[in-house]
Amino acid sequence: MAPRPVEIVVDGVSKAFGTVQALVDVHVRVRAGEFLSLIGPSGCGKTTLLKTIAGLVAPDSGRVVVGGRTVEGPGRECSVVFQDFALLPWATVQKNAEFGLLLRGVPAAARAERARGMIAKVGLAGFEHAYPAQLSGGMQQRVGLARALAVNPQVLLMDEPFASIDEQTRRVFQDDLLQLWSEERKTVVLVTHSMEEAIYLSDRVVVLSPRPGRVHQVLEVPLPRPREGAGVRATAEFARLVDDLWKVLRKLQ
Amino acid sequence: MTPGARESDLGRTGLIAVAGLLIMWEALGRLDVSMFVLPVTTVAAAWWHLVGDGTLTRAAASSLVSLVKGFVPAAVLGVAVGLAMGRFATVRHLLDGWVNALMSAPLSALVPVLIALFGIRDTVVAATVFMFSFFVIVVNTLTGVRSTDPSLVEMARSFGAGEFALFGRVYLPSALPAVMLGLRLGVVQAVKGMVVGEMLISLVGLGERLIYYGNTFLIAELYAVIASVLLIALVTSQLAQALDRALIRWK
Repeated sequence: MAPRPVEIVVDGVSKAFGTVQALVDVHVRVRAGEFLSLIGPSGCGKTTLLKTIAGLVAPDSGRVVVGGRTVEGPGRECSVVFQDFALLPWATVQKNAEFGLLLRGVPAAARAERARGMIAKVGLAGFEHAYPAQLSGGMQQRVGLARALAVNPQVLLMDEPFASIDEQTRRVFQDDLLQLWSEERKTVVLVTHSMEEAIYLSDRVVVLSPRPGRVHQVLEVPLPRPREGAGVRATAEFARLVDDLWKVLRKLQ
Repeated sequence: MTPGARESDLGRTGLIAVAGLLIMWEALGRLDVSMFVLPVTTVAAAWWHLVGDGTLTRAAASSLVSLVKGFVPAAVLGVAVGLAMGRFATVRHLLDGWVNALMSAPLSALVPVLIALFGIRDTVVAATVFMFSFFVIVVNTLTGVRSTDPSLVEMARSFGAGEFALFGRVYLPSALPAVMLGLRLGVVQAVKGMVVGEMLISLVGLGERLIYYGNTFLIAELYAVIASVLLIALVTSQLAQALDRALIRWK
């Protein structure tokens, strides 16, 4: 049973690292069940914002509320998918997928079953006993996704999950992600630097400006769903939306 | 050619090299070039004789007991101290200077202190073994913990891992290859410490036999003991390597 997706409210968050102001007075409201992307030039603090929502970075001022609870550290609502996959090199695919459940104290049998189901769902059935080093980048990130989903979060936070994956693999993975998301409705926040990716996946795209990071603009993506496998990328509407986003981003460079 | 075949070829080359050396040694021995170059067969006969009359087995047994008595505490404490230094900055700052200084120091200079402390007894040998192997184990463990991928730590934290879980589930397994390397280097150091300690107290074990046969110019017996020491060094380091391979299958 999937938990109900929840709303995320980022309320006036500021964060500085030493003298570098990473985020200044950031306000973002992510609707329950929405797929939202954060995009902006490097150094705009998009990853910092994601980690603030995850409870991995404490804001200097302002607050983040996830599903009515003010974030004060990593909570059970959120799972994070990391850019560099962050898989345990000494553990098999199965053990990696179980890791979140293990840390949350789920008993071994339930853990194994739940992880095996998720591994199958992300398309890695049969690879349970492989080690991460034996898998391609795309497959490794599928393990990262299975681990994140195995704990059944209400919110999925993804930090440039496709950045180190080659283009063909990435497109297939993006479709699979949309397919999964339509089955397990979760609130998703995706950090990306790819305009096509942001438009293709999201309901809305939040553009952040750099140094210091603030919300510059929010774009709606009115493309109909399901988008996966529907040739959306080839439509004039898709091209126009990517171009609109580029016009916004170009001024920020 | 498969990698397996190449490895066995290399093994064969190694064996041929060793065999060649032994034959040369035997030949030189028989030519009687020096009293210090004896035929291998003479040394082997001496070795067999010393094993037969129990001299070598007694000495080796005493040496091995000291080795175990010194190395096991060094391994346990060394890993513990290394882990503590790796995780806690205070502990690290407190001990870093000492560990680094003592790791590169000529530790045999400290054996007289141990003799003064414990008296001329086999405890000195165990203490020397400990001293020789402890620091390299600490330093490798410390390095292993410190080189833990920070993104794994962040990942574990994102799933709510506390300090205890982080330690057991991330830092420890991540440091394991380095810990094993430390133990492998440590066991080599331990054998060195064993021989040095025994030679300096000149009372027990293979080291005492080395000094005795050296001083009395029983060259064949001397070589027989040296060969035994080399054998112990080889076997212990092979054991450590086998343990390493058994524990770390993912590399």
